Amino acid sequence: MLSVEALVKHFEDGDRKRIKVLDELTLRVQPGEFVAVFGPSGSGKTTLMDLIAGFQTPDAGTVTVNDKIVSRFTGRAHADYLLRVIGIVEQPKEMKEGASAQENASLKLLRDDARHANQNIVPLLQELGLGDRVKQKVSKLSMGERQRVQIAQALSMDPKLVLADEPTGHLDPKRSREVLALLARLCRERKTAVLLTTHEPRAVAYADRALTLSDGRLQPYEPEVIPDTELGVPT
Amino acid sequence: MIPPANETPTPSSPRWMPLGEMYGVYRAWLLSKRVLVLELFAVLGLAIGVALLFASQVASTSLDSSVRELTSRIVGASQLQLDSRDASGFNQGLVSQVARMPGVKAALPVLEQPATIIGPKGEASVDLLGADPRFARAARFLPHMSAKQLERQKGLVLPSALAASLGVGPLEGVTVQVGEKVIGSYVGATLGPSQIGGLAQSQIALAAITYVQTLADDPGNVTRIFIQTLPGQQDEARASLQTLASRENLILTSADFDAQLFSVASAPAQQGEGLFSVISAIVGFLFAFVAMLLTVPERRKAIKEMRNRGTTRLMTVQFLCCEAIVLGALAAAVGFVFGELLSAHVFRAEPGYLSFAFPVGSQRVVTFPTIALAVGLGILAAFVGILAPLWTTLMRPLQPRGKTTGRRAWTTRAQLIAGGLCLAITTLILILRPQAAVAGNVTLLIALLCLLPILFRGIIAAFGILQTPFGFTSTKLARIALREPTTRVSAQGIAAMGAMAVFGIVAILGAQQNLEQGLNRTATEVNDVTGLWVSPGGVNNTLGTTPFSAAVAPKLRHVPGVQSVSIYRGGFLDLGDRRTWIIAPPRNSPQPIPPGQLTEGNLQEASARLRGHGWAIVSEAIAHEMHLHIGEQFTLPAPRPSTFRVAGLSTNGGWPPGAILINAADYSEAWRTTAASALMIALRPGVTPTQGREEVKRALGPDSGLAVQTAEQRAHAWQTISHQGLARLTEIATLVKIAAILAMAAVMASMMWQRKGKIAYDKRQGHTGLIMWLALFFESAVLLGAGCSIGALFGVFGQLVISHALATITGFPITISTGAVVAIVSFTIVSAAALAIVAIPGAIAARVRPTNVMPPA
Repeated sequence: MLSVEALVKHFEDGDRKRIKVLDELTLRVQPGEFVAVFGPSGSGKTTLMDLIAGFQTPDAGTVTVNDKIVSRFTGRAHADYLLRVIGIVEQPKEMKEGASAQENASLKLLRDDARHANQNIVPLLQELGLGDRVKQKVSKLSMGERQRVQIAQALSMDPKLVLADEPTGHLDPKRSREVLALLARLCRERKTAVLLTTHEPRAVAYADRALTLSDGRLQPYEPEVIPDTELGVPT
Repeated sequence: MIPPANETPTPSSPRWMPLGEMYGVYRAWLLSKRVLVLELFAVLGLAIGVALLFASQVASTSLDSSVRELTSRIVGASQLQLDSRDASGFNQGLVSQVARMPGVKAALPVLEQPATIIGPKGEASVDLLGADPRFARAARFLPHMSAKQLERQKGLVLPSALAASLGVGPLEGVTVQVGEKVIGSYVGATLGPSQIGGLAQSQIALAAITYVQTLADDPGNVTRIFIQTLPGQQDEARASLQTLASRENLILTSADFDAQLFSVASAPAQQGEGLFSVISAIVGFLFAFVAMLLTVPERRKAIKEMRNRGTTRLMTVQFLCCEAIVLGALAAAVGFVFGELLSAHVFRAEPGYLSFAFPVGSQRVVTFPTIALAVGLGILAAFVGILAPLWTTLMRPLQPRGKTTGRRAWTTRAQLIAGGLCLAITTLILILRPQAAVAGNVTLLIALLCLLPILFRGIIAAFGILQTPFGFTSTKLARIALREPTTRVSAQGIAAMGAMAVFGIVAILGAQQNLEQGLNRTATEVNDVTGLWVSPGGVNNTLGTTPFSAAVAPKLRHVPGVQSVSIYRGGFLDLGDRRTWIIAPPRNSPQPIPPGQLTEGNLQEASARLRGHGWAIVSEAIAHEMHLHIGEQFTLPAPRPSTFRVAGLSTNGGWPPGAILINAADYSEAWRTTAASALMIALRPGVTPTQGREEVKRALGPDSGLAVQTAEQRAHAWQTISHQGLARLTEIATLVKIAAILAMAAVMASMMWQRKGKIAYDKRQGHTGLIMWLALFFESAVLLGAGCSIGALFGVFGQLVISHALATITGFPITISTGAVVAIVSFTIVSAAALAIVAIPGAIAARVRPTNVMPPA
């Protein structure tokens, strides 16, 4: 459902030197597949996500989602793509602090049915364990709860693909595991593909496939030997 | 980002921040664009307040100064003056008597007459001064001419500005009208600033006394004698002059008495304008205060950073004080420039009706106290704006933020109590002491600022409820945005600006409207009693105070369409330090007392008494000063002193020093005159005023100096003149309006620009640019609407306070109304204009790409 072919993207550094961030990157994600992409900071993970979401235009290559080339979307077509085809799970720094969990999670639903958006999101929030916090202001929620609201927001329109860019970067190990487990379960139940970028090795346990982004290209992920205690796997 | 501060002070380290470090800290502080924009707004708001205060002060002092300068120039070295009690004057033979009196060095006669000069480019009402050569030389008018040359002059000497406005120069012809007499004349010379200083802007005309006597048909008479006394013999001279004055029924006063009279006459208008200027200055300073409040979160962060790095409290206060000095000085400089432009091109001193009785010029006088006051208040406002909101932050030790719920409830309670208390104080001032309008409006503004957050939250909540059934995406997004804590301070700041601006505009314009309605009503009531009015032309005679021969009256009685012709009389009489307007309608006037002007007494009874003999209606201020009540007697110091009884009390009819109403026959007796000030012509049924006017004009002939006006035309002329003096209020309100619209639009645009990240986030959820623009539009509309409507509500109360104060201070006839129309119009204009302006930056902000703004990973 997602096909990335020979994607190339350059940026200019502080000295105006052109740096190739993505070097003919190729990736395919099947419907319902959970793919994790590893890489250290600055390896191009967010750039890849931006290109798939259509926030940036590639210098070469194509991104195709459901047989449509993303870089050709403009205006309303792009808005519809963001609304119905993909869902984005990001770090919750731009959430509406003065609004409730319900109101934040139902932001996408406002476009289709603004009158009933708040009610329609409740079942999903309950699935995510926030049933008793729906009316709570986001400023009163923990980071883990806020991330779950983000997941609800991303899944509210039943997207075909979820892009999760470092969704657990700010969470402690326990909360990270909870969020990854929820994301994996819900997406599998909905047959929604997931592309997750992270630099945490524990995410491997939840993905169908793991890749490493290195030198602008994707390679199969080769884990370091990490003690079980760090992974949180019971001994 | 604040650069590293000093190390934690040790006993040997400095207590004060070095200047270089302070400069670095301040520069870093301004690197944030948001802070820079908001600091510029603070400067703008302060500058507006400084400009308004400066311009209105210059206008007020200029008005007073022009009369003082003229008086001083005319008075010269004279210490005393003998003044006639009426316009016709007294025999100039007295001059030689006075000159021979013990202690008198010189006696300089002057004949003063109101006149109209007509030139190619227009006409002007002037104070025509007939002086003898010694006087002219003493006053340094035409010092290059000999006494004989001056005596032979049969032309006029005009100030250069007046000559230019008439389109004439030396030796060019003009027409002069004095009373009903119209005569051709010429300009003998023009005098510029280098010769007569500020008098070059005055509305005076000089001529030889003999020539003015010819023009005024008043041979052998003078209206004043200025007296120079010998050194050390003033008391002796005064004693003998007083005896002469009592014998000849003249007034002996100090030589500069006219300046004192003018101060009394202009005081109410200046107090009224001062009130409006203070209110607009308060609004201006509050703009600055609110703009500074918007930077409080950044300042708090900066203070916390500085304190965490070891900067002491003293150093922090030092930094803030220096910032206040910089802002205040910058604002004062900008405000001074604005104020200069305003006072030179907009806030011109309009004397209006005061020019009927005083030679008022139009020069600008800027004094050091005016500059110092404006600059000082600008810097003070900067200090208050910066230090006051941060005082508790500065005083308390650094600690993590605690729970806010309890603090919020306490703050709301405190706001309610403070706001309610201030409202109660304002109400008490309105009822018990209306003249304390400045204090009343200050407490009202404080009430507004205290209650605004609560009312604002209520309006937001109401918006949330009202928009729910409609199910619009953009209104829902707007509602969510309005509740965001990160923009709460900005949002309330914008609402506060709108509230204060509309408050100021409604209060000022509402009071102006009440004042105008009262004056309009007076003009209509006084003039509508007859079909036509015949009187000497010229603005000077708008109040019907210039005498002319009534010999033409019998001729007009036979004009077709004329039913009757009655004689109206009037003039000015100095009662103590009040140049009082004497109004004397004929006994047979259908309505001798304008009904809207009577404040005490029964209208029918008072009218019946007035038609009799020896009764008067006295304006409240004069009655209060003379301790008079209805039925009591007083002596009117007319040329023939006469006793009158009080039939009722009234307003001053728009003439600040006060007015006294008697009948025309009593006036004739007291002033020993058969002259008229106007003829009231009643028309036969079926004859329109226009038809009647044409017939009367035809009967008078084309060379007549008498003007024929319908009642409507005459009332309109009154209204035009009286509104001249109120024009400043419209200018002040317009300035506040423009400043508010621009300030709010700019702050909202800045707020939108700062929220690009949030807008991009919403677009990542699939919302289009159009939806985001509509959401911003609705959000702005609610912010502006909330603030402006709260301001309009408080403004209606404010205009009531001001109107009652004006009625008490000025004695003007004021019609008190709610000012609802003014409130609605002001609210609509300010909010709609700001919304229209902000639509553009809103559209730009809504075009932001939905990209995640983090740098590439």
